[in-house]
Amino acid sequence: MTAVAVPSGQAAIRWRRWLVRHGWTVGVWVLLVGLIAWYSTLIPRFGNFTMASIAKNSLPTAYLAIAQAVVVIAGGLDLGVGGMMVLANATSALLMEGEGFGMTLLIAAAVIGGAALANGIVGWVIVTSRVPDIVVTLATLFIFSGIGLMVLPSPGGGTSGGFRRIFTGSSSGVGTNYWPSLVALAVPLALVAAWLARSRRGLSLYAAGSHPIAAYLSGVDTRRAKITAYAISGALAALAGLAVTAITANGDARFNNAANGTLNSVAAVVLGGIALTGGVGSVIGAVAAGVILFVLNPILTALGINPNTSQVIQGLVIVGVMAMAGLLELRRRRTE
Amino acid sequence: MAAVTTARSDALPALLTASEVAKSFGTVVALRSADLAVRPGEIHALLGANGAGKSTLVKILAGVIPADAGTIHLNGARIHPRRPADATAAGVATVFQDPALIPDLTIDRNLRLIAVDPGRIRSWLDRLGLGDLDFDAMVRDVPLPILRLLDLARALAHDPHLLVLDEITAALPADLAERVFEVMAEQRDRGRSVLFITHRLAEVLRVCDRATILRDGRHVATLTPGEGGEARLVEAMLGEVAAAVTEPPTTRERPPEAPVALEARALTSRDYLKGVSFEVRAGEILGLVALEGQGQDRLFDVLAGDRPFDGGELVVGGRPLRPRSPFDAIRSGVVLVPADRLHALLPQRSVRENLASTLYNRIGRWFSLVRDEDERVSGVIERLTIDTRAQRQARRLSGGNQQKVAVGRWLAAGFRTLLCFDPTRGIDIHTKDQIYALLRELAADGAAILYYTSELAEVPVVCDRVLVMYDGRIVHEQPAAAAEERVLLGAAHGLEAAS
Repeated sequence: MTAVAVPSGQAAIRWRRWLVRHGWTVGVWVLLVGLIAWYSTLIPRFGNFTMASIAKNSLPTAYLAIAQAVVVIAGGLDLGVGGMMVLANATSALLMEGEGFGMTLLIAAAVIGGAALANGIVGWVIVTSRVPDIVVTLATLFIFSGIGLMVLPSPGGGTSGGFRRIFTGSSSGVGTNYWPSLVALAVPLALVAAWLARSRRGLSLYAAGSHPIAAYLSGVDTRRAKITAYAISGALAALAGLAVTAITANGDARFNNAANGTLNSVAAVVLGGIALTGGVGSVIGAVAAGVILFVLNPILTALGINPNTSQVIQGLVIVGVMAMAGLLELRRRRTE
Repeated sequence: MAAVTTARSDALPALLTASEVAKSFGTVVALRSADLAVRPGEIHALLGANGAGKSTLVKILAGVIPADAGTIHLNGARIHPRRPADATAAGVATVFQDPALIPDLTIDRNLRLIAVDPGRIRSWLDRLGLGDLDFDAMVRDVPLPILRLLDLARALAHDPHLLVLDEITAALPADLAERVFEVMAEQRDRGRSVLFITHRLAEVLRVCDRATILRDGRHVATLTPGEGGEARLVEAMLGEVAAAVTEPPTTRERPPEAPVALEARALTSRDYLKGVSFEVRAGEILGLVALEGQGQDRLFDVLAGDRPFDGGELVVGGRPLRPRSPFDAIRSGVVLVPADRLHALLPQRSVRENLASTLYNRIGRWFSLVRDEDERVSGVIERLTIDTRAQRQARRLSGGNQQKVAVGRWLAAGFRTLLCFDPTRGIDIHTKDQIYALLRELAADGAAILYYTSELAEVPVVCDRVLVMYDGRIVHEQPAAAAEERVLLGAAHGLEAAS
């Protein structure tokens, strides 16, 4: 009965399989590099300053993309990420104003920890009450950003130069060194990606999102998996808020920022190849997609396109890419 | 049933005792009072007709659902597992009816998902003959029989005192089932126990030491299978209705001039079909037999319009057909009853809606709804004797009743050629007989039926003629009434027909 056994593959087969499995992630990164290369030909001077600007300003969207990706992989949807970002931004800007570097770091750690705890509780409410994720987190979007406004009714606050340097590479927030921003993105990304793919708890997030019943029957604690996903999402959303504080040295809790953050995170996850039905995709693709969504703005500006029109174009890009993916998938299945 | 001993009177200390276990889902009582006693070092069969409560009892033992009443003791200590993980920790590992593997993860990652050393699972896989498995394959691409063995290896790796196997052989070809029996015997010889749920009585007679029989959610008997043989087990399962279960095969005369309903001419599809030719006439049930993975799945997909064919010709009702979707096939009167019943049904909708769903095609002229919908649906329910106790959601029906609904949908809509892919998998004998009778009745009314089955014993009972498929080709054909299992099995293994 060799027909039943799956034969072990050779190197070439393994390579092809890797490409098929990770093709979407690779494609998104290629698209990102292509867009940046194109952008460099569109503006008169493309140098380290522009690179640093892209690197630091895309951080909040990129973090939110990871936050959303983790929850969507586990079969949920966290519309509250934008609210959590705004809340963390407002709180940290208020508390960090006039403080030294050490104190700002402590505050940052406390904000991240508090956000993880708060969103973990949101996850617990979802798995316990069985109210759909989208309903509960729509509420938390309003709640978190509302608390942000209570904390900081009008834009203001500040932070330390050292703290700004962590995310932007410069104590003034403006500079030409883009490495710190890249590191600030790569470290959490690598940690989350490795944890998801290697640890039992990380795999349980995929299991809970892909086939919760099978996961439960195998002895996987799907409730704990989902609560963990929400806690991580809260921590990363807070990180996005801290990045905003570092970039702008300001707190701004207007609802617009929260809503934009949430919508961009969902768009990034979809564009990044993560199935909204859960269990499929990688955070690495979502991050690239998040940066793409950010990079589109300066490109469209450089092309001299009216900002109102550029939103339409952004939407069309998302739909266009997804439709193309759908067609490719259809063709693949037809020929299989 | 005088000779029947009850489990409770057994003097031997039991490994597992379940007493008066009860469970209701809303108003539907699944278990009234189930008793079960499994001794150390035995293979114990759990038998019963559809809806007798076997699966519910298994789920309670495995910690999937809590019991409403009753007690469970393992090794003398009372347990109440609240989650599957609790049950495995206590020493009860279960292989459920459906694979408990994550389709979007590789085999390797699935093995790392549970709290057992993956090395132990791999060594069990070696012993099951799957040492050369590609662990980097996505579970969704792995054939069902392999998934069953993966589940088994995972359960064995827990080193359970009691291994519960719910219908594990239903999806296994004979050679793989044999490996499972070997492992079961090994467990017994080590003093461990196995609770074995199956619909194949031949397996019970062969491998089980004792059998507990449930009927209507109650314990009716615990007996030694060898004593009374198949007949006594069946009698206990069915109660008074027993008597005429499997009718002897009736030789049906099909008028030779009956028109060909569907003809395949050298159909090819990728590597799966390498030139398949056959014809099925109106009023005929054509059996198809094959080992797992010989292209039968693809053949049904192609005929049902779910996948295109590369070469050859498909002639339906005398006209060439090249369906681009199932819709095209259905319009030509070719309809499918798939192996997975939940693929055919709308699980959360009512029985009536499910039966009527095939009629919705016809709302083509915008607002002209099918006027006789109610009448057709009621007719089908009556004709199929569908148990409508749980009719609000099709997913709550027992497997047998779901299958009846899956066939019944097409009765409501009307068809000419019915493609049945293993429609009796995991269904009890009584319901099986109803399905056989239904198919024969449909054939008598002029339907052409292509019937794939994984149970060779069904061939002479159901079919007029039988084909054997091997490696993407039809390798053998003969009248079904004279079909010997030995010959069919030989052909299915690619041997020259020895007749």
